[in-house]
Amino acid sequence: MNANPADSPPPSVKKHILIVDDEAAIREVLGSILTQKGFRVTAVPSAHEAETVAGRDVPDLVITDLQLEDSDGLEMVGRLKALLPETPMMLLTGVLFDPKVVREVLNKKVSCYVDKLAPLSRILAEVERLTG
Amino acid sequence: MPSAPKPPPEPGRPVNDTMTRRVLVLFLIILAVFVAAAVASVRNINRSVAGSDWVNHTHSVILEAEGLRSDLLVGDGASHTFVMTGDVRDRRASADALADVEEHLEILAALSRTEPVQKEEVSRIAALVSKRIEFIRSVLSARQSGGADAVRAMLAEDAGQPALKEIQKAVEKLKGDELALLTERDTASFLQAQTTRWTVWAGVTLDLVLLAGAGWLIRDDIGARRRAAAVLSKANEELEEKVRERTAEVAAANERLTTENLERRWTNQGLEHQLRYNHLIINSINDLVLVITKATNISRVNPAVVQLTGYEPHELIHMPFSSIARLSSFGREPMLSPITQAMNDGRDLREQHAVVVDKRGREIPVRMALFPLRDRDKVVGGVVIFQVAPPADNPKP
Repeated sequence: MNANPADSPPPSVKKHILIVDDEAAIREVLGSILTQKGFRVTAVPSAHEAETVAGRDVPDLVITDLQLEDSDGLEMVGRLKALLPETPMMLLTGVLFDPKVVREVLNKKVSCYVDKLAPLSRILAEVERLTG
Repeated sequence: MPSAPKPPPEPGRPVNDTMTRRVLVLFLIILAVFVAAAVASVRNINRSVAGSDWVNHTHSVILEAEGLRSDLLVGDGASHTFVMTGDVRDRRASADALADVEEHLEILAALSRTEPVQKEEVSRIAALVSKRIEFIRSVLSARQSGGADAVRAMLAEDAGQPALKEIQKAVEKLKGDELALLTERDTASFLQAQTTRWTVWAGVTLDLVLLAGAGWLIRDDIGARRRAAAVLSKANEELEEKVRERTAEVAAANERLTTENLERRWTNQGLEHQLRYNHLIINSINDLVLVITKATNISRVNPAVVQLTGYEPHELIHMPFSSIARLSSFGREPMLSPITQAMNDGRDLREQHAVVVDKRGREIPVRMALFPLRDRDKVVGGVVIFQVAPPADNPKP
């Protein structure tokens, strides 16, 4: 999951992104593309591990699935917001929400909602926007 | 009109083999000129040395001839004194002088051994001198034996000393010839020295000219090599630039491919996730969900259908839909017509009362809905949903 060392900034200045998803394939693909684009990625399968990592190594962005093994992604976001109020949170899920639901409910809880059918380029664009 | 600059040689090709050959040939010529000048000089020096030996030889001849004449005059004079005084010391002096004369003669003969003309002259002098020595010795013998009259007669015969004069003349001639030869050799020696000088100067000048030519060729060659090196360096830089560009292109293409590959994996992953999620939802529904083809054969069922009808999934697939269900309003008639009609029209059927016939032939009252299944605005089948109706909903028979 490492990008070309000649093109990437040193680890200390790379933005840290925390991925929370119970599917290993999703973690691997998302981690690869973000690493290739110069981010430092930590990918974990559960909310508990995510909270542990966030306490130890503050992320610049949290990308989380909705349905996790040990919790609900939105609940975890709530707990993380108490710990990291400035850190943006992205909900990346296979559950397709109605635009009205997204507008009136999800946008109040997370910084951004993207469904998993969206292309990687759109996800990357949102990541760039949120880590700005 | 200024001459056009020489084009640099092609990179990777030997700069100029012809140039190297020319410089080599020039140096060989310089070496040949140097050797020729040296050989000529050595030969002239040898000739000078030989000429110097000959001059020494000639001087020796002249000195010996002069010594011979002098000693002969001394011997002759001493013999005359002895005749007048009878003093034995004069006789001895005359004998010693004559011995010296003979020695001079021997030396002259040795010196003229290799010179025919000189040898002839020396032989002639030797004959005259021998005759004169014999005469002087006979005078001395006659005086010693006391024959004054005989001595007087002998001396009278020698009045004017013609033999001695002839000897002096012959010696003078020998000396004159030798001096003439000396002058000739001196001239030849001067000319040889001049020739040597010219040979050395000409060789040195020619070598200097050739060296200048070789230097010019080498300078030209170095210039050509510098131009070739510059062209090669430029070509290398261009090549390196192309390699850098190509490497960057390959790296970019590789990154693009990697991104595309990840994008494809992501899309597949999303679709697979979505499909799995949808299956889960459909399979979790308590209602009976069936998918039928345009020909009203069953193509898919959810677990609720299997559970209610008692059929296994493989038994249900491709079974005519009319085998397991019919609309209540059609009594026991198959429900083909309204369903086929609805799919042909592309419209929904909702809230229809129907019965499902299970594997054992029992009839179970249900509420039915049909939703045409479209693929690009074309109805290719339908989705049928059965809800098991509560007893109150059952139509009265």
